[in-house]
Amino acid sequence: MSASMAYAGLWRTCRMLLPRHPVLSPAAIRTQSSASGDLMPWTSLSRPPWPEQPSPYSAEEERSRHAAVVSTVNQRINLRDFGRLFAVVHFAGRQWKVTGEDLILIENHIEAECGERIRMEKVLLVGAEDFTLIGRPLLGKELVRVEATVIEKTESWPKVHMRFWKRHRFQRKRIIIQPQTVLRINSIELAPRLT
Amino acid sequence: MTSRGTPSRFLRSVLQNGVGRYVCQLKRISIVFSKKAQSSLGVRDFIEEGVVDYANKNPGTVVYVSPQPCRVPKIVAEYLNGNVREETITSKTSQQISELLTKLTNQSGLEIIRIRKPFHTDSPSIQGLWHPFTNRPPSIGPIRPTKGLTKENV
Repeated sequence: MSASMAYAGLWRTCRMLLPRHPVLSPAAIRTQSSASGDLMPWTSLSRPPWPEQPSPYSAEEERSRHAAVVSTVNQRINLRDFGRLFAVVHFAGRQWKVTGEDLILIENHIEAECGERIRMEKVLLVGAEDFTLIGRPLLGKELVRVEATVIEKTESWPKVHMRFWKRHRFQRKRIIIQPQTVLRINSIELAPRLT
Repeated sequence: MTSRGTPSRFLRSVLQNGVGRYVCQLKRISIVFSKKAQSSLGVRDFIEEGVVDYANKNPGTVVYVSPQPCRVPKIVAEYLNGNVREETITSKTSQQISELLTKLTNQSGLEIIRIRKPFHTDSPSIQGLWHPFTNRPPSIGPIRPTKGLTKENV
């Protein structure tokens, strides 16, 4: 526990990604990207601006460290040792970063009455203060539960949609009023079962 | 007018509605109509058929029906935050009036003006705000101005 806590500062976001590709030199990566379309094209943001330092640990040590991290996170989740949770939720064609008790405005009509509770199923990421769970691309439904209440179903303010061409005597004016729904996120719950 | 010339507000709810239980924000509805004018025909039909059902479905809202000699029939809706909204219902059918009533019931009393952001949080940051030293291992060294192209940052 103490060993993993000492590296908590280094691994602030404990990612569950194991290293897939072997570590290559930048020149090798550049030549490989033209041959196979697997890796992303090389840009100025492909690697951080500080010099790349090879990991001083061997592969087995890396694996054991990752296992230690996963077991720490599992322990935290089992003991419910986290405070406030946030989640990234895909809803109504957009992704929202969402906590408890916050409001969201959706620009369309939802098939739920005011006061009804809704569960948002597409959760991409859940985080607490010390750890984050990143889904690929979604997290399981038995792992996270994000619930929201429909508070208000109104219409938007009357937006003016005007088209005007100069010197052509062409102008059209249209008032657009869209239905809106306001959701209040009630809770984000994390289930104590991680693989 | 465009959004710059009209007032705007941030997304909010009245008294954290929804955190505990949901409260319908409509306090009072007064239907003002005339007993004999042609413009109040739909209102009279609605009052015959639909008003009682509406009042039963929304037990938190008080419904007042006041026939008066008036030319223009109106619905006056008062909300819990004190805002009053008047809608005229001249020559509307009973169906349209009931739809209007459901729309007024589902609204909160906040003004219908431009909403600046489609979200609102009271706790925007959980893991702490980013500053240039987050996720920067101290083995790299202090931040110094770069002297152009060197071997490291090619």
